[in-house]
Amino acid sequence: MTTGPHPGRLRRDEDTGRLRRDEDTGRLRRHEATGRQRRDVATGRQRRGKDEGQGGTATDEQRPRVRAFGLRTRLLLAFLLVAAVSAGTTAALTYREARTAVLRTAQDTAVSSFRDHVQQTGFSLPVRKEGMEEVLRDLARKGKPRPWVVFAEYGSLRASSGENPVSTVITPELRRAARANPRGAFERVVKDGVPYLTIAMPTVFKTSPGSVLPTGLVLYAVMRMADEQVNVDALLMAARDGALPGLAVALIPGLIAARSVLRPVRELRQAARSMGSGRLDTRIRVRGSDELADLARTFNESAGQLEGSVRELREAEERARRFASDVSHELRTPLAGMLAVTEVLEEDAEGLGADTARALRLVSAETGKLAVLVEDLMEMSRFDARAAELNDDEVDVAEAIRKTLQNRYWTDDRVGVQLPDGIRARLDPRRFDVVIANLVGNALKHGGAPVTVRLCTEVRSPGTPVLITEVMDSGPGIQPEVLPHIFDRFYKADAARTRSAGSGLGLAITLENVKLHGGTIRAGNRPGGGAVFTVEIPLHAEEAGG
Amino acid sequence: MRRARTRRRAAAVAVVAAVPLLGGCGIQETDVIEAGGPASVQAFLNREYDILLFFRSPDGGLAPVIRTPASSSVFDGYVEEGSGDQNPGETAGRVPTEKVVLALLGGPQEEDLAVGLGTSLPAAHPGGTVEVERSPGGRVTTRLPFALGGLDSTALRQLTCTIAYSQDADGQVVVELRGQDGVSRSGTCGLAPGNTGKATAETGTRARTTPPGTTG
Repeated sequence: MTTGPHPGRLRRDEDTGRLRRDEDTGRLRRHEATGRQRRDVATGRQRRGKDEGQGGTATDEQRPRVRAFGLRTRLLLAFLLVAAVSAGTTAALTYREARTAVLRTAQDTAVSSFRDHVQQTGFSLPVRKEGMEEVLRDLARKGKPRPWVVFAEYGSLRASSGENPVSTVITPELRRAARANPRGAFERVVKDGVPYLTIAMPTVFKTSPGSVLPTGLVLYAVMRMADEQVNVDALLMAARDGALPGLAVALIPGLIAARSVLRPVRELRQAARSMGSGRLDTRIRVRGSDELADLARTFNESAGQLEGSVRELREAEERARRFASDVSHELRTPLAGMLAVTEVLEEDAEGLGADTARALRLVSAETGKLAVLVEDLMEMSRFDARAAELNDDEVDVAEAIRKTLQNRYWTDDRVGVQLPDGIRARLDPRRFDVVIANLVGNALKHGGAPVTVRLCTEVRSPGTPVLITEVMDSGPGIQPEVLPHIFDRFYKADAARTRSAGSGLGLAITLENVKLHGGTIRAGNRPGGGAVFTVEIPLHAEEAGG
Repeated sequence: MRRARTRRRAAAVAVVAAVPLLGGCGIQETDVIEAGGPASVQAFLNREYDILLFFRSPDGGLAPVIRTPASSSVFDGYVEEGSGDQNPGETAGRVPTEKVVLALLGGPQEEDLAVGLGTSLPAAHPGGTVEVERSPGGRVTTRLPFALGGLDSTALRQLTCTIAYSQDADGQVVVELRGQDGVSRSGTCGLAPGNTGKATAETGTRARTTPPGTTG
């Protein structure tokens, strides 16, 4: 179907409507091999990294996201800390006060009751050892709040109500205090983990109604504070049992606060992601008047401005594309007329003078090139306007390629083929023809014969079988710095060849066609020399092509 | 980094705050804490016929001892001078101070020794006389039949307190002691709990007014 050697098949009636789909595919035939090694016309064009486009470096894209101390965790920890500190402080202070009160009560009771009991006792002076232990035992029995062991020290006399006449619990400090100052005193002593209350009670006797004199007898009471220990332990337990539920309760406001902070943050994140995926009209509902509400408001304003800017950009781009498309269309009609005229004139060229004939042929050739360029431009406009459609059909791929080569008369030994039979795929035959023709033409023009076209299928990792078409030439290969730009429009690798036969759009159109099939195309160099273009199209292209 | 440092600081603060608060669960030891006065016991002192002597306790203090002089054996070895009417202000029937001092000089008896009481005064030597003289200013002057120079403070306090409590139920009199060597000491007993002044404010002076040979 693509047999026309020149673009003379333009229908004359198309000027009634612009952007009419041109079913005639012959336009693309003659300039297909133009993209390789073109000169970069715009030499100041920003060169991207060499590796880019070949699956290179994307280091700054991924950022480690450590969420071990997320907002929720931190808020909860803060609440727990505050609760723990307050509960602990309260419990500790309460405990201390209560413990002091418990102990003071016990001590005061013990001291005063000991004093009372001693005061009801009589002693002869000097104190006699005989009968002393009975007196002490009597005192010990009357101990309050519980029995105690009573010791007596007088001169060299040592007696007690217990087994040992001398206590091991009473400290020298207490003895010294009782001796130096005839006043009651007590001391808490912890011995082997057991708390004791030791009371020293010096005795005096009346020498006159208003005067007393120390007898030299000092009585000591030693009392285990086991009950007080139990009370204190109970207090401690109570404080702890009160503090732990307090901590648990503190989790609830912590969770609520975390939620009130996290929900706007989550909405913000979803909105940002939604905007990133292209929905620029995403807005956040602003609640309250706190900092997060301010953030949401700012986000909405920024989103609005971004949306406006993007709309303007899109409109400008749209206008530019439409302009290119319009220009192409406007050019096509006069060009068609010119082509017809030059064709007629060229046939009569023999009858003219040599110079006139040469000029006529030159005009004819350039007009043909111009027509090709305009057709390519229109094709690109269709791609840009997404007006290009895929008319796919199940074809025998090897047969299709063979037909393409045959139509271009590339049947001699310049083009070799490795085409296994029986590979069928859903393709748009016209577009696939354009792809193959462009690649082979490019290889012949810029690479070097012989050119090999190879076809094979492969099953890729996700399980989709892929149709792979490789076009290899025997030329010098593509320079590495050219590789990233080789599919750009009007890109010319060779600065010397400003005037090449092609339009400069061949490989760009090839790329668009492959993409329309849901496939990929990449250019590279073979290790042994020569460039290789690899086209990969999914075998079941019907899903991707829609 | 900064967050970690902040967290560490907060933990340190929490620990520092928690330690003194929770510090010492259970019952802690205390120092010696005074709690009220002493216990006033019944010592069966009858000033009409009991005498109060002060002996030395093993810990260095003075221990009062009550004796009831039933017989004259208490005063063995001492010649009594004066008939006891030298204290006209005192109630009749009270044991005269001279006898009390002689009893003190007689030293601790068996029951005193049994509980470790002793005396710092020199052993009794016969023939000594004790003269007690009460001056109007509440001052009691006692002449002793031995030298005061070699006596330690405990001995002086034994004498002072014994004489003071013999003269006065409250013991609040200034006692002047004069020895045969002419040394004189004066002071108060100060054993009563309310009187916190250190035992005796002794003012030792070489006696010039008293001739040494007066009692000899």
